[in-house]
Amino acid sequence: MEAIAPAAETFTAFKRSFFYGTRSNLNFKFIKHLTDAQADEFLQGLLQEIAGAYDAGNPDRIFSHVLKWQTAGYQDEKNFDYSEGPFVALPKPVKDATLALLTSSGHYVAGDDPQPFGEAAMTQQEAEERIFDFLKEAPVLSEIPRQTPLESLEVRHGGYDVCSSRADANATFPIKILAALEQEGKIGRLAANAYSFVGACSQRRLLKRAGPEWADKLVSAGVEAACLVPV
Amino acid sequence: MSVGHVARLLETAGIATVIIASRVFEKRMRMMTLPRVLLTPYLMGRPVGPPGNTNAQRASVMAALALLDSAQQAGTVESLP
Repeated sequence: MEAIAPAAETFTAFKRSFFYGTRSNLNFKFIKHLTDAQADEFLQGLLQEIAGAYDAGNPDRIFSHVLKWQTAGYQDEKNFDYSEGPFVALPKPVKDATLALLTSSGHYVAGDDPQPFGEAAMTQQEAEERIFDFLKEAPVLSEIPRQTPLESLEVRHGGYDVCSSRADANATFPIKILAALEQEGKIGRLAANAYSFVGACSQRRLLKRAGPEWADKLVSAGVEAACLVPV
Repeated sequence: MSVGHVARLLETAGIATVIIASRVFEKRMRMMTLPRVLLTPYLMGRPVGPPGNTNAQRASVMAALALLDSAQQAGTVESLP
């Protein structure tokens, strides 16, 4: 009896597999959002750039190629199109102001796990597998005392590759860079706490409740300016 | 989107904000008419600069702080080369 060969994978299925599928890759999940023609151009170009970079002894052209197509992958934005926005002028120069860091990188202090869904010690892999649950949940803000050693920081976020954040928190959570600038007098005062949350969350819950509460918290802490970092 | 919404809420509460974002998200940032945005030339997931590259990270933060002092209106977007 002749074996039945499995159906060939379509190119569209191949693209989708990078987005939380069998080839899940948070650096390249954008491939799903490209048209077939764009994905074809990206992948062929990537191979060309790898060989070209090797010959040139410089990998920068590979990075530029990926950045170009990552950008293309995030062009189909439809939500939250605001024609105007609030703006408050800082009443004093930054060198005299109190500034806080707040990021959506998913950092927290070891021993102070925000425990999403009530689960202790959720792994990065589990967070990736539950990304669509995160998108329905209210965000939780972690307070991170400014003197926290980087070795005491943990990071977990199902929406991006946290390897870079683990290698050097400053790539997404530049607390040590800000502390150095405070020492040099370029910031008046760095607030006692920095803050981080998992940006993959319910926007409605963020806007209705969590976000306004966070604003009150920072105002109460005397914060006059904030450096914000999305991932 | 999340950080854009936080920026809008903080500004409404009287806190001046600046966002450091990878230019991968330029369209998203511009659509939200955010107070001040610095776009950096780094890959998604490393918006301040590559791990271990303190010079690049410092340049990003310095440029962002300068925007806090210089921006005059919402929707101010600048890019690092």
